[in-house]
Amino acid sequence: MAQNLTSNDIVKHFAGVTALSSGCLTANSGEVVALIGANGSGKSTLCKIITGVVAPDEGQLLLNGTPISFSTPVEAIKSGIAAVYQDLSLIPSLSIAQNIWLTREPMSGIFIKYRTQRKRTQELLDLFADTMRTSLTPDTLVNELPPDEQQIVEILKAVSTNPRIMILDEATSSLDSRQVDRLFTLIGEWKKQDKAIIFISHRMVEVFRIADRITVLRNGKTVGDFDAKKVKEKDLINLMVENAKEHLEKTGTSIFKKLRETVLKVTNLRTQRLQGIDFEVKKGELLGIAGLQGQGQSDILHSIFGSIQFSGTIELDGRDHQFKHTSQSMAKDIALVPGDRAKEGLLMRLSILENLMLPSWRKYGLPLNTGKAKKDAAKTSQSLKIIMADLNMPVSSLSGGNAQKVVIGKWLQRNPRILLLNDPTKGVDVGTKAEFYDLLKDLCKNGTTILFYSSDDEELVGLCDRVLVIRDGMIRKEIPRSKLTLSSLITASVTSSEETAHATD
Amino acid sequence: MNKSIGFQLPKRFSPPVIAVILAILLFVISTFFLKTDTGLAGMINRGKMIINITAFLGLIAAGQTIVILAGGEGIDLSAGTTVTLAAILTAVVADKSDARLPLALFVALSAGALVGLINGIGVAILKIHPVVMTLSVSGVTMGTILAIYRGAVQGGAGPGFNKFVAMPFTIGNVNFGFTGAVVAWIFVSIVLWFILNKTQFGKHLFAIGVNRDAAHLSGVRVTRTAILAYVLCGVFTAFGGFIVLGYIQTVYFIIGDGYLFPSIAAVVLGGTVLAGGEGSYWGTMSGALVLTVLDSILTSSQVEERARLIVLGVLLLAVISLYGRQKALRQ
Amino acid sequence: MQQIRRFFTKKTFVFSIVLFILVILVNFAMQYANLGLDKFEKRFMFLLDNNIRGFIPLILLAIAQAIVLINGSIDLSIGNLMGVVAAFLVTQYSKDDSIARFLQVFVMAIGIGVLAGALNGIFVSLVRIPPFITTYATSFVFSGIAMWILPRPGGNMPEIATTFYRTMLPLGLPMGMWIILIIMLLWLVFRNTRFGAHMYAIGGNEKAAFTSGVSVIRHRMSVHMIAGFLAAFAALALVLITGSSDPRIGATMTLDSVVAVVLGGTPMSGGIGGVVGPIFGVLTLGFVRNIVGFANVDTWVQPLVDALIILVALASPSLIRLILKQARK
Repeated sequence: MAQNLTSNDIVKHFAGVTALSSGCLTANSGEVVALIGANGSGKSTLCKIITGVVAPDEGQLLLNGTPISFSTPVEAIKSGIAAVYQDLSLIPSLSIAQNIWLTREPMSGIFIKYRTQRKRTQELLDLFADTMRTSLTPDTLVNELPPDEQQIVEILKAVSTNPRIMILDEATSSLDSRQVDRLFTLIGEWKKQDKAIIFISHRMVEVFRIADRITVLRNGKTVGDFDAKKVKEKDLINLMVENAKEHLEKTGTSIFKKLRETVLKVTNLRTQRLQGIDFEVKKGELLGIAGLQGQGQSDILHSIFGSIQFSGTIELDGRDHQFKHTSQSMAKDIALVPGDRAKEGLLMRLSILENLMLPSWRKYGLPLNTGKAKKDAAKTSQSLKIIMADLNMPVSSLSGGNAQKVVIGKWLQRNPRILLLNDPTKGVDVGTKAEFYDLLKDLCKNGTTILFYSSDDEELVGLCDRVLVIRDGMIRKEIPRSKLTLSSLITASVTSSEETAHATD
Repeated sequence: MNKSIGFQLPKRFSPPVIAVILAILLFVISTFFLKTDTGLAGMINRGKMIINITAFLGLIAAGQTIVILAGGEGIDLSAGTTVTLAAILTAVVADKSDARLPLALFVALSAGALVGLINGIGVAILKIHPVVMTLSVSGVTMGTILAIYRGAVQGGAGPGFNKFVAMPFTIGNVNFGFTGAVVAWIFVSIVLWFILNKTQFGKHLFAIGVNRDAAHLSGVRVTRTAILAYVLCGVFTAFGGFIVLGYIQTVYFIIGDGYLFPSIAAVVLGGTVLAGGEGSYWGTMSGALVLTVLDSILTSSQVEERARLIVLGVLLLAVISLYGRQKALRQ
Repeated sequence: MQQIRRFFTKKTFVFSIVLFILVILVNFAMQYANLGLDKFEKRFMFLLDNNIRGFIPLILLAIAQAIVLINGSIDLSIGNLMGVVAAFLVTQYSKDDSIARFLQVFVMAIGIGVLAGALNGIFVSLVRIPPFITTYATSFVFSGIAMWILPRPGGNMPEIATTFYRTMLPLGLPMGMWIILIIMLLWLVFRNTRFGAHMYAIGGNEKAAFTSGVSVIRHRMSVHMIAGFLAAFAALALVLITGSSDPRIGATMTLDSVVAVVLGGTPMSGGIGGVVGPIFGVLTLGFVRNIVGFANVDTWVQPLVDALIILVALASPSLIRLILKQARK
């Protein structure tokens, strides 16, 4: 029953970009192999080739020593390979049951046996019982679910195919700690069932927790394969990034900031997910927003920016503002870096220049002074060290980290007073993250106020002056810098309010 | 194993360039094939004549370009009836006098703007699909025309205007060979170039064509921009109808119909992406040129309407197969 | 509570049914005003019969359109496709054809419809051109072909068939009603097959469906061919009533089919819908037009009134939604 999947020297090009030049990976049954690498290193591409979504240009894929190739994803599934992707492959308008069993519906002649389908779905849902907020039934529509539960459905979908080889591509990115724990328990059982598991994640803590072996990809090439128990995190990081930098140093420069005037005051903020939020932010502060996924954190940012409906009061410099549209908040020098880069932050088909300048054209007169715009865009991209061929290239040609720099760059052009960040380092490589942290600290020093929501607790601990922990739509705890540690953050995120009140800091 | 149908065009040959080359090729081939005057002077003359005729389609397709660039499956299927409406209003208001032409122009453009506004509200606010909305509005426009004019329209443009539009330009002793219609076309192309490239609106237009959510989060007023796109479309299309009147001189109700499908074909031929966000008016101009050359070939060969329709349909499919394909599901 | 809400959002035809009931009441009120009240029941059946039979072609086109829309595509050529088949039928038949000949020609007609649908399907799913422009282009190709086959209005239909269709009242109920019942039953079967389920999946999220292993290409091809198949039946239903055909008949019916589907609550974005909505959409539209007809409107003004009806019909679901949203604030 021992299964073994090996990929040898896989090569893949996409429209002028080489995603993989030598992708090698081995997965054995009863074992978890972690695949790590910086953004753009080719991890997702390699997985997509293994699962038949993308066709390789060169190279070999071997299953138990026999070469195989898949012309469709279905063939991969039939060979016992299942994957849980980063971009969800669920159909929002269909129910959980319909999504999980799509193309494998239990049949009776030409008719689908809906009752059987529902029963099997419930059995799968029970695997994650007690880790989900809403009461899910097999008939719940996927578009009614928050991102973490959608991710779980995605996982269950893979599980339902009873695979021999499971690929989890950033499957934990939307899950909270309870759900991750449950998933890891399940992974343990899968190992006992002799399944092979490929685990891709940016979160080193998780990688070291679950992996037996670690394979490292860099710039489309496999550069190392290690025993997880023997290798050190620092060595792995050095291997992943070209220039060795002190990336993981907790930049805890706790310069105690002189408190200046209040610049933003939020009272009784309510949205669909927020139940009444009150807080104040002072000028130059770096305020962190934390908590489990989907507790409404991004609603806070979007309300201040004016891109969603809300009720409550938002005061800017003492004056009440009800921003109904982003252009209004922008006029007051507020900027928002959205969570989903490709869908919300960038116009992928347009050039880097156009993306950088889009919020700012009003300042260039009529007719637009495109020459000046080009100069300003060049200046911004240089100061952010964006690696690109030319300003006129489409922004889709950039790697994740550089693309995120463009998103930030377009706002920095406007010298915002208040910068709202919605999980900005998701999917960004370690090198770019470090540059980003330095940038944020500089901005604060020069008087910019920053509200920073992140799903990465370590990040918040390293950067913030204060952190607001959100749970169930309300602020559960406010943690000042002096008491800000990883454990205090996580504790505040998961325990109930009574416990938090009594918790020793 | 790479599966793909069709091929990718090399970047240097952008669609407008290809279209122009194609137009010239077709023109040259047709000259020899149809045994018309093959001397250089004769060919140039014929070429100028073709450009004179293309001007009308070119003008009418300007509005269509804007609306398709705006994205959201934007299209204006009411362009034909807007042309008719503008022509009729011009004829009625001008009443064969040149002096009343400015007023007639104002009325025609306002009517176009109104039609565009209705389209824009339906599409951007009521979220009705552009195909359905503009098709319905075209029915209402036609119905209004029939209800008011009941079959016969008196009036027309003034003689000076007719001469300007239909006859070649002469300054002093030099006959340029191009008509006033071409002058109007060039004027519109400059205006449109300015709007698309040198105004904030133009930048916002391309932005909403590419990704409405991201545009909104960058401060673009999506609804307003979309509505304005339709209004401008109506205005430019109406201007096209205004000029057309100078050419045909007497109005009949199906004037506009013959321009609708070609206007869309011209935009697509010119490389403007149907999903929005990419393209240019130069492309549309080249596309219009190709279509006019093709149409003149068909007319000279005395091909009937039913075959012309089939040829146009097949041509559009062929062109789109070359440039307009969506990404394959599997790469 | 959530279940009730889900019922209303899933069963999108509720709005159209309410509208339909209103319209039917007004319609019959006006018809009775014109014809008197004697022999109530027989008259009722007669009126219902005539009305519904007239709607069958559009019902079939609307269902075809709905199926295509649910799959995430659209068919702007369906009216002209029907026109091609209709032209074929009336030029192939003569008045004294036998039943055998009738069936023979009709089978060929179905073949033509399916082939035309396949043409659409090939460009949409294999060459991958956006459906609205593909079918817009093919609509012109089809109208040209229809004109080629039948340059002027006219043609013939076998008398056996036309008499049967126009006068039969099986079990005393309108022929049209039986046809609608059969359609609804077939739909129920269709809905519970894998093909039906996949249709909604593709319309909901094409990429996700593909990644999950749904054969999107084959499915979309099939859907367009089904549309062609239904259009062939629509053509038959049409020419059986009129006995002849007009090559230009297709164009308006395409828009009507889309309007009927929208009126019935099916969104144009795909992934949601059924067959009940389009049916009621057609019936509502038809009865509203009847009402207008009775109002003795000037011939020159009729096109405008009809166009306004369509516009209002399209705008209503959106307007109502907007008003409700404002009210909830």
